[in-house]
Amino acid sequence: MDPVARVLVVDDEQQIRRALTINLRARGYDVDVAKTGEEALEIAARCHPDVVVLDLGLPGIDGVEVIRGIRGWSQVPIVVLSVRETETDKVAALDAGADDYVTKPFGMDELLARLRAALRRATPGAEEAVIETPDFGIDLASKRVTRDGEEIRLTPTEWHVVDVLVRNRGRLVAQRQLLQEVWGPQYHDETNYLRVFMAQVRRKLEPDPSRPRYFITEPGMGYRFELPD
Amino acid sequence: MARGKLRIYLGAAPGVGKTYAMLNEGYRAHERGADVVIGVYETHGRESTAAQARDLEVIPRKSIEHRETTFEEMDVDAILARKPERVLVDELAHTNVPGSLHEKRWQDVEMLLDAGIDVISTLNIQHLESVNDVVEQITGVKQGETIPDEVVRRADQLELVDMSPEALRRRMAHGNIYPAERVDASLANYFRLGNLAALRELALLWVADRVEENLQAYLEEHGIEGAWETRERVVVALTGAPGGDVLIRRAARMARRAHGDLVGVHIRPTDGLAERSPELLAKHRQLLDDLGGVYQEIAATDVGVALVNVAKAERATQLVLGESRQSRMTHLIRGSVISQVLRAADSIDVHVISTTGSEEDPAGVPLVRRRSPGITRRRQVAALVVAAVALPLVTLLLDVLREQLSLPSVLLIYLLVVVAVASIGGFLPAAMAAIGGFLLGNYFFTHPVHTFTVADDDNLVALIVFVIVGAVVGDLVSRVARRRVQAAQAQAEAETLARLSGTLLSEQDPLPALMVGLRSAFGCASVAVLRRDGDEWHIESSAGEPVPQRPEEAQVSVPLDAETTLAVSGSGLGASDLNTLRAFTGQLSLAVERRRLRAEAATAEGLVEANELRTALLAAVSHDLRTPLASIKASVTSLLQSDVTIATASRTELLEAIDAETDRLNNLVGNLLDMSRLQTGALELVWRAVGFDEIVPAALQSLGDPAARVVVEVPETLPRVNADAALLERAVANLLANALRASPPDRPIRIFAGATPGRVELTIADEGPGIPVDQREEVFRPFQRLGDRPDGDGVGLGLAVARGFVEAMHGELTIDDTPGGGASVHVAFPVAT
Repeated sequence: MDPVARVLVVDDEQQIRRALTINLRARGYDVDVAKTGEEALEIAARCHPDVVVLDLGLPGIDGVEVIRGIRGWSQVPIVVLSVRETETDKVAALDAGADDYVTKPFGMDELLARLRAALRRATPGAEEAVIETPDFGIDLASKRVTRDGEEIRLTPTEWHVVDVLVRNRGRLVAQRQLLQEVWGPQYHDETNYLRVFMAQVRRKLEPDPSRPRYFITEPGMGYRFELPD
Repeated sequence: MARGKLRIYLGAAPGVGKTYAMLNEGYRAHERGADVVIGVYETHGRESTAAQARDLEVIPRKSIEHRETTFEEMDVDAILARKPERVLVDELAHTNVPGSLHEKRWQDVEMLLDAGIDVISTLNIQHLESVNDVVEQITGVKQGETIPDEVVRRADQLELVDMSPEALRRRMAHGNIYPAERVDASLANYFRLGNLAALRELALLWVADRVEENLQAYLEEHGIEGAWETRERVVVALTGAPGGDVLIRRAARMARRAHGDLVGVHIRPTDGLAERSPELLAKHRQLLDDLGGVYQEIAATDVGVALVNVAKAERATQLVLGESRQSRMTHLIRGSVISQVLRAADSIDVHVISTTGSEEDPAGVPLVRRRSPGITRRRQVAALVVAAVALPLVTLLLDVLREQLSLPSVLLIYLLVVVAVASIGGFLPAAMAAIGGFLLGNYFFTHPVHTFTVADDDNLVALIVFVIVGAVVGDLVSRVARRRVQAAQAQAEAETLARLSGTLLSEQDPLPALMVGLRSAFGCASVAVLRRDGDEWHIESSAGEPVPQRPEEAQVSVPLDAETTLAVSGSGLGASDLNTLRAFTGQLSLAVERRRLRAEAATAEGLVEANELRTALLAAVSHDLRTPLASIKASVTSLLQSDVTIATASRTELLEAIDAETDRLNNLVGNLLDMSRLQTGALELVWRAVGFDEIVPAALQSLGDPAARVVVEVPETLPRVNADAALLERAVANLLANALRASPPDRPIRIFAGATPGRVELTIADEGPGIPVDQREEVFRPFQRLGDRPDGDGVGLGLAVARGFVEAMHGELTIDDTPGGGASVHVAFPVAT
């Protein structure tokens, strides 16, 4: 069986490395491991992984520095896995170029889902144009949203927001990224726009807008479109 | 000839009955047999008024042509010629038509008075010069005819013809005052009730000599703008000399009686040499303030002239001075301030008041007296010696040259000696030298020679001039010397101040430097800044010995602020130094304040640091707790996956990881608890004598398999130590765990024990990287690794707890190098007794 993808796991904790390795190998991934930031940069350069799982608190150079180092030459998806949970830490990692952020302790399912989403972004064209959820259906090609067979009208901006999130389904879309894609490059701090439009989208599509299942807010980071399994 | 008496009937407005009253009075006098004539009277067509004239003699008016109109004015000449006893002259403020004897009728009246004729006259309040503008503000009508207040004030009798405004308006309405056609307009304008009331008030007040303050109140109450300045102003001269309080009180009384203002003026001499006491001056200033006076301070050279100038600028009417304390001699030579003031005062009344009633004791007041006389006694003696030597020598020399020199030349040479002596010793030696020169010159060089008689007047003049010139030069020299010394003193004070200001700017905590500076500047034994703390005083900063412990112990104490006081002791601190000292206190206050602020800033900094440390500790604890949790959760969720099958070997691995991480977590939680027990002092010790040989195996066992590589050399024969067995075991286990982590897996750990007299020591030696000397204390600090950076795995709590335990049991824990590399930890306890 050809490997699904090549993953670089960077963590100073042996037990985490071991658990991840066991899981990823069982799913057919090729796994490289690194214990320090320096080692991570070296292996990334040598082995060209398809996705990187990165701890931030590393001996030697810090995880954020590792992200910057990799971003210097590669757009490989990077999923951060860290005990740091403050917004400042998250934004710092995302700004440095991380694609997603998972806080420790984490469930293996969740991490694997994020890894898959990250990998999907890295291989464009493979995405389906029609997404069906138990509550509504989205046709990205014809720009139509249907609920119980009836079409739901979205304003152009609402559609744009939905489009960006669905195309990146399962992945974190940072606030800044969403603003710039929908409103334009000069927008990056107007996060209140996002709150307003996300609320409208949820009212139109979510079965229970106050407990969103599909359009998830990642506080301080951005938004994510989740597809239930 | 006696001057005539002037009686004025003053009214608030036209029509109150002044003329009536005047005529009535005249007639009564006439009835009593007095020679009364009517100089001039205006009835304004009022019949009742005209009727009052009855059969009084009327001096016919004089006709004066002006611009083709005929005017009738009082015929002063005719009255003077008639020379009655008494004359009635209506409307004192009347302006005569041009071409008359005088411009104003009151000038005519003055003339009549001067001629010894009594005058009865009338006047409306609005014509008074001083109230003219007020009346204009009240009534809106400008009065062209005014009369100086002086004239009216001088009147022997002033009678107010009063009528209530309502009655006056009634009279008006009945046509008793103006012809019917003018009544309405008048009632609506000038004769408005308010106007009349105000004018009446004004007249009453003026008469009662209480015009100002009440009118001011009236004006304010009625919102009438503009101040009315006719106040009496009393200026009192303040010198800061004892007895000033008497002056101020007297001046205040004068001002109060006159309902005037009180102004205190202190003339600060520009040479800065006058005798004055700042304490007294400040006291006087306070008194002045209490009595409602205003204080002014002006620098001037000429005190008397300056005082008068200020008084004039203040429009003072009275100037109060204290009796001079100068000696009669000083008066003669330098003139007195009082005579200066009297000469310059012009119209201002000058009161010179004796200050003998003062409670202020001149002797008890630190009168500022400059200590330095300018010329020292030594210089005076030296000058006298020079005079005693030079005068005979010069005489001998002149005797030789007698034929070639005239007396003036001889005296000039003597004068040279006198000037030289003066320049050395000042006035006294110079005067003595001059007299000596005079006598020598007289005896040896004037005819008849060798007698003290002088035959020639010319020579006598020369001799006298010689003595005077000598004395004057001597005086000048000593004065110059004195001023130079004073200037030097002032400069020294200024320099000291400047230097201390510099200290204040440049030093972080300038207080100690200021103390030292202060002590040396005033040459005192010790200075201190004391801070009050309830009833206690403690020393904030000091210099010199012995330090005064309380302000009472000090010779001089000056409060700096509510809590701090400057205490100076053991000094010849003169009164003049108090000035400088006072200037210092400002600096000291600043320094004290700065010290307080710095202390506060340090506290705040400490709090910030403590806060940062706490945040870092929290981050570290959360990392240390979450890391094993993350491993456990990752392993457990892996095992829960249903979509893939995990090989048995891998499953075992995951389960082992869970097991190990759970132990790690438990260990960490235990250490955290221990740490908090240590820090809160909640540690309960069970003391007993234990041997290391019991402890070490238990510790090894708690560490499990990894401890297999520990080499144990702990003899059972060692003395036992007093300790809590459980805590000691935990301490040793922590130390072993640390050593196992630090040391490479293939190198052994050695644990051995030995006894020295009275002590038993356990050593744990690893062959890891070792701990540099400068970090050996740091590693014992809890979470010395901040944040989640795992620099040296697990060095979080283990060592801190170990040391905490050992020290709680009165043991000692130290680190040094293992011979050949690595770290050795020594645990030492005293032998159990």
